[in-house]
Amino acid sequence: MITQILNKIMQVGLLTLLLAWSPAMLAAMENSDCTDCHGDAGTVGAALVIEARTFDHTAHAQVGCHACHASITQDHPDDGLAPSKASCSECHDEVSAEYNNSLHAENAVCSDCHNPHQVHGPTAVSGHAMNLQCAACHVPAEVQEQHAVWLPQADLHISNLPCVTCHSAADQHVISLYLTRRQGDALFGSFELASYDELRSLAGGKPIEQLVDRNADGYISLAELRLFNLDPQNKQLRLQGMMTPERLSHDFISQDDRWDCSFCHASGPEAMQVSYLSLAEPDGSFRRVAVEQGAVLDALYGTPDFYMVGSTRSTALNYVGLVILAGGLVMPIGHGTLRFLTRKNRKHEEE
Amino acid sequence: MSPKNRIYLQPTPVRIWHWLNALGIITLCITAVQIRFPEHVHLFENYKDAILLHNAAGLVVTFSFTLWFIYYALVSRSMFKVYVPSVDDLQNGILRQAKFYLLTYFLGWANPHHPTPDNKFNPMQKSAYLAIMFLLVPLVSLTGLLLTNVSPMRDLVLLVGGLKILIAMHFLLACSLCAFLFTHVYLATLGKTAMAYIKPMWTGWEEEEAEEHPHHST
Repeated sequence: MITQILNKIMQVGLLTLLLAWSPAMLAAMENSDCTDCHGDAGTVGAALVIEARTFDHTAHAQVGCHACHASITQDHPDDGLAPSKASCSECHDEVSAEYNNSLHAENAVCSDCHNPHQVHGPTAVSGHAMNLQCAACHVPAEVQEQHAVWLPQADLHISNLPCVTCHSAADQHVISLYLTRRQGDALFGSFELASYDELRSLAGGKPIEQLVDRNADGYISLAELRLFNLDPQNKQLRLQGMMTPERLSHDFISQDDRWDCSFCHASGPEAMQVSYLSLAEPDGSFRRVAVEQGAVLDALYGTPDFYMVGSTRSTALNYVGLVILAGGLVMPIGHGTLRFLTRKNRKHEEE
Repeated sequence: MSPKNRIYLQPTPVRIWHWLNALGIITLCITAVQIRFPEHVHLFENYKDAILLHNAAGLVVTFSFTLWFIYYALVSRSMFKVYVPSVDDLQNGILRQAKFYLLTYFLGWANPHHPTPDNKFNPMQKSAYLAIMFLLVPLVSLTGLLLTNVSPMRDLVLLVGGLKILIAMHFLLACSLCAFLFTHVYLATLGKTAMAYIKPMWTGWEEEEAEEHPHHST
């Protein structure tokens, strides 16, 4: 009788232990347990492959595969069960609520724009990559045609601004400088965003930020920017400036003050103080290196290809212009005064 | 009353060019102030309107410059004679004219230069207009055209040295043109009456008083 009672207690205890330990055992599954197979297209097929290079550094990799695919056990895939997929809103509830109220919600779900295995934070995504997401549905040629109806230099605006800068309530804008490289070795040719591999090859074994950050102090001074832009060795490289938001919004409402151009162009030089050099990383994200305050306002060689009419004007040039204008007033004021004082000498002319 | 000679100094194409140019350049100067200092200057309600008007006025000036060039180079064929200073202009004329502006004008002496259709500018005017019409206006127009077409003309922009060099050139050249405008308008009032030089640019005809003080004309 006592033995039966002891057996019962042991069974209940074991069951309790198993139940208590099982999530921990499942959680103990490492990402590598998944990527051992899903990292190889030959094993799981191209549609199910997860690139370690792009996935391993994402925030989603840090929470682990099992956080989103909770139903997966060690028996996968032999159990024949389709793995569960977490809904994005389970974690990103605020973003999800904002997005569901937008016009976009009817047309696309989160994964249409965001590959959960390649996600990066807002500041680690290039402006170009942001626009590629939009271009998946919004045909670039049509977008440009629609903008050209009202927007001066629509092509320039579209290639130098993330769509969300105007078409959402994204804010906290900074100037992101990207290294672009001339395609081919021809004298003329388009400049495209330089990939990590291209930059690594150009850096010749040094860290790629040293292409600009010559003293390797993790900070880019205006002097370093000028040196980079004036160095003949860099003639195939140009810094492309884009006005990018640090805080994104998923409301996708076009902002009124973008229509009259005042948001960007009348923001004044004070709004143009913060800029970063954004460098491509192996995982497809971008790493930012701080640039000296106000560097984009330099008159000539700080950022020779980045100029926002009205906002990035140079104070030094303003003073030179003022001196020139004052020079034009010397004759009317100086001569005019003497003319007035000697007017009696010319009386006979007017008689 | 002194006898008057009327000379047809400014033909119709020149007058059309001049006033079209004046309208365009004044519009460019006004809109430029808001374009460069939008957070301080609000002449136009909408920043975009200032930009579009500036671009349109720039095209008007470029068009009127073309008209000027065609007229003087191909129709009247007097461009070289009117705009290029002669050796005598450079050796004596400029000094003579400077002496008039800076000294003898105040003493009440007559202007040593007497305009004719083929020699309408005094030596100082010739030199100034040569620089303005053959350097300043073409360069400010070209930099403006590049600035309004940055993407399609990107290689040309890079050839200049980049957008910042281009905008600096455009800004400083435009300031120079505006500075000249102050002097130009002032000197236009320096005739025997304030409107004596301005009227011919409107009607085409200049009335020239017969020489009364030959000793003044040095």
